[in-house]
Amino acid sequence: MARILVIEDDPQTAAEIAACLAASGFDAEQSFDGAEGLALALRERFDAVTLDRMLPGRDGLDVVKALRDAGSDVPVLMVSALGDVDDRVTGLRAGGDDYLVKPFAPPELIARLEVMLRRHRHPPTPEVMLRAGDLKLDLVRHEAERGGRRIELLPMEFKLLEFMMRNAGQTLSRRMIFESVWEYYFDPGTNLIDVHVGRLRRKIDAAGAPPLFKTERGVGYMLDAT
Amino acid sequence: MRLRELLRTTSFRLSSLYGLIFALGLAGLLGLVYLRSAVYLTHRVDSIMSTEAAALSLSPASDLEARIGEAQSLTGDKTSVFALFTPSGARLVGNLPVIPPGLRPNGPPVEIAATPLFPAPARLIARRLASGEILVVGRDINQLQEMRAILASALIWSGAAIAVIGLACAVGLSIGPVRRLRVLEDACREIAGGNLTRRLPISRGADEIDTFAATVNYMMDEVERLMGEVKGSTETIAHDLRTPLTRARARLHRLQQSPTAPAADLARVTAELDTVLERFRALMRISELEARERRRGFARIDAAHVLADVFDLYQPLAEDNGVALTWSAPPDVALEADPKLLFEAVSNLVDNAIKFSGAGGSVSLRLEPGAGPPRIVVEDDGPGIPVAEKSAVLQRFYRGERDRTTPGSGLGLSIASAITRLHGFHIELEDASPGLRAVIVCGRGETLFTGSSGTRR
Repeated sequence: MARILVIEDDPQTAAEIAACLAASGFDAEQSFDGAEGLALALRERFDAVTLDRMLPGRDGLDVVKALRDAGSDVPVLMVSALGDVDDRVTGLRAGGDDYLVKPFAPPELIARLEVMLRRHRHPPTPEVMLRAGDLKLDLVRHEAERGGRRIELLPMEFKLLEFMMRNAGQTLSRRMIFESVWEYYFDPGTNLIDVHVGRLRRKIDAAGAPPLFKTERGVGYMLDAT
Repeated sequence: MRLRELLRTTSFRLSSLYGLIFALGLAGLLGLVYLRSAVYLTHRVDSIMSTEAAALSLSPASDLEARIGEAQSLTGDKTSVFALFTPSGARLVGNLPVIPPGLRPNGPPVEIAATPLFPAPARLIARRLASGEILVVGRDINQLQEMRAILASALIWSGAAIAVIGLACAVGLSIGPVRRLRVLEDACREIAGGNLTRRLPISRGADEIDTFAATVNYMMDEVERLMGEVKGSTETIAHDLRTPLTRARARLHRLQQSPTAPAADLARVTAELDTVLERFRALMRISELEARERRRGFARIDAAHVLADVFDLYQPLAEDNGVALTWSAPPDVALEADPKLLFEAVSNLVDNAIKFSGAGGSVSLRLEPGAGPPRIVVEDDGPGIPVAEKSAVLQRFYRGERDRTTPGSGLGLSIASAITRLHGFHIELEDASPGLRAVIVCGRGETLFTGSSGTRR
């Protein structure tokens, strides 16, 4: 069971986040203050930390910097009300692994944590070929193939499929997809991402069985090859 | 600093005016000196001549020629003219060859140029003697003429010198104030550009410009304080709302996972709350954009790329909604903009247009370079916006009537508007009858180089 440290100054929000994490199978520990949270993160072993950016005592940016300076490589998810691109860059540059803008829905937090945890356990390696079941993606020749049949993909569809295959088995929220594939950080609105995933899904799942794409209700999508 | 700008300054105009008045006064003074001295010298010459003529005419006729010769030898022929003529005008004796035309006996004095017998300009009078002969007496007036010339040239040269010095002083006096005004102008522009902490410089002179600058600075202190208070209260409200929203959403999520929960009701409440969260994020985004420092992250970009990217992102959505989305843009129209923000603004307009044109509708996205600033046009054939709402929809946080029944934050236009304001651009909403034509008028744009225009459908 993965152990998560929640550093968040509002006790009720912290409690709710912890409860959601517990409901999703995490073991959550809470800390309400930057200095205390930092000490806890350095003293005990955690699999990941969610860190509010604005904290009493010690600012979130400060905490993550101190954590990295102390040699810790624990994955840190920065949680902040500041959503501008620059704030995101500052947060990531300070040592955060991902950045989530408040207010958020819990599944978004959990999806990001899970992706972060997996990336930490299995760091991405330079690959020339991605596989998920009978689906193959040739990163050198820019070709997709399922069960030996070539699938024609547009450049963006290729990028989307690559992202989903690299995170196969993980729930990916619409925002995560929009940020990683298109590299824009605003609310994509309506069902923009659904349409793009839907098109790719029709191409991939039409080329063979069983269906690889799964819809995670209210959250996003998963490419599931198991 | 341009000359034309300098010539328009108050200090230049004032010092030029003073210079002009001074030059006129000096000319008047010199003119008066000239007139008075010329009149005085002429008068003296005339009285000497009259005295000499009177003395000579009293001499007996037989003696006259000898007296004239005597007088000439006294003055050495250099400064005086003495001559005697018969009544018919033939010369009897003296250093004047003929009676000059215009010189009448007992008439007014006449001035003549140098003659072979008298090598200087002279002033002459003539007297008819009792014998009928004509006596001419004259004086060298070289000095008089020279003095006139000296006074005249003094007038011209000093006038010219005053004009030049006055003009130079006017320019010199204007440069200082113009420089100071330029500094003030730059500071004001920076403030208008969003840097509310900038203040106008105040010199030690404490003149009227400094007094004015101090007043403006005081005003800016107040503006900054008020802005800070508004921003602070917005942030407090946002924080106060964000925390319960996040908590409520988290609690709902947990409830949904409990096996006894009424699933359908919870799903509905969750969806409602997600809409609230989405709108809330949009509001925060607008505040964030409005508080943002201007021109940060700006670069020179090709507008066509932004349009192409927006088209690629929205084309599938349009197709699924049964909307025909088209785009066209000539290449190489450069804009000074933040590409990600401009993309966000155009995306919001296109998203709106697709939503409102509905199945069977069409949306056109195009870049119009034109004579003025380039225009990014998003046109739909949906229901449009009532005239009364047009200016309101661009305002901060405004949601139009037609937004109430559609999903999404409904704040897309406000976000687009905040982004365009940040760029110094603006949005115009036009009636496309039917439908809405939203135009981002890109202020500072210009065509980089001319090329063939491309169209992609």
